[in-house]
Amino acid sequence: MSEAKKYPAPVTNPETAAFWDAAKQGKFIIKRCTACGEAHYFPRSICPFCYSDKTVWEESSGEGTIYTYSLMRKSPNGPYAIGYVTLKEGPSVQTNFVDCDLEKLKIGQRVKVVFKPTDGAPLPFFTPV
Amino acid sequence: MPPRAAGAEVDFESAYGATTHNAYGMCAMRHMHDYGTTSEQLAWIKVAASHHAQYNPHAMLKDVVTVEDVLNSPMISDPLHRMDCCVVSDGGGALIVTTPEIARSLKKPLVKLIGHGEAMKGPRGGKDLDLTYSAGVWSGPRAFEEAGITPKDIKYASIYDSFTITVLMQLEDLGFCKKGEGGKFVADGNLISGVGKLPFNTDGGGLCSNHPVNRGGMTKIIEAVRQLRGEAHPKVQVKNCDLAIAHGTGGLLGVRHAASTAILERV
Repeated sequence: MSEAKKYPAPVTNPETAAFWDAAKQGKFIIKRCTACGEAHYFPRSICPFCYSDKTVWEESSGEGTIYTYSLMRKSPNGPYAIGYVTLKEGPSVQTNFVDCDLEKLKIGQRVKVVFKPTDGAPLPFFTPV
Repeated sequence: MPPRAAGAEVDFESAYGATTHNAYGMCAMRHMHDYGTTSEQLAWIKVAASHHAQYNPHAMLKDVVTVEDVLNSPMISDPLHRMDCCVVSDGGGALIVTTPEIARSLKKPLVKLIGHGEAMKGPRGGKDLDLTYSAGVWSGPRAFEEAGITPKDIKYASIYDSFTITVLMQLEDLGFCKKGEGGKFVADGNLISGVGKLPFNTDGGGLCSNHPVNRGGMTKIIEAVRQLRGEAHPKVQVKNCDLAIAHGTGGLLGVRHAASTAILERV
């Protein structure tokens, strides 16, 4: 992926503001429901599993493994790889893989979060460990 | 059309460039990983569609292609080659549903909707993500139950085919074979009319004939009705075609989508 690529700034809203504030500190946080115990992503006020409003923020390790990916061979900004990462905490996250040889990505590969700047809060991406 | 309101997911997805190609590429990649599905097996779906399209004067791509042709076409979004992708076209269709009395007065073979199912599937908060199956696992059984038949009774299948992997996953989900065995099921011409056990998309489908954006389901119903009326091209008409299925998905199988299944009977 081209380093010159410009990413859109998150719009943010009251439900997700804490996520983007944490991102500015380099922290990747996720939501967990204290009623059913399940973590989820992307973050919501209401648990998507048991519909409880007792959801709380927790810092993720930012580490996980590649569930799947696909390398888009052409785009206006060059090749890029989209995929899902399954976090150590459980939820899977849609992302792009960056700062690596895209031809060598593999399902099951260990990756960690890395933030890239925008005009607003930074966006989370993942890169091989 | 008014602008579509942004969903809660936008900040967490839009920057990552999900397109139809890479969303279905992600499904295919994981299906290959979990079940050993191969590009050669996926290619057979395109090969079957091309065998049918050669008899459709309106098909965009009328040339019969081989597995090698598909594998040698440029990689678009791994593991999908250009020939794993459908065409993009204009087009449309219409379907008239009427009373039995009016239908009988029209002097056409009668086709009845005997079973239907709908379902949705999304990333579900990222829990237990599994991109190797679609919402067809729910819409299909509901339709078969209502119709009182099983996949073995189906003589012809119209299956939405944005990509080859779309067909393979949906055939598994509908119960034409077990999950993970779609690759073996579609190989060696099993989807070619007059050759295999489950003739599919005898108009050439989206892979070869046409794919009007967001209207892929309509053409699937139309060809299923043609088959049941005995009005398909003679080279692809299924003999004694009395039960057909038309099934499609909308959205992106790799992100979130809905599925709809219709089972039709000649009466």
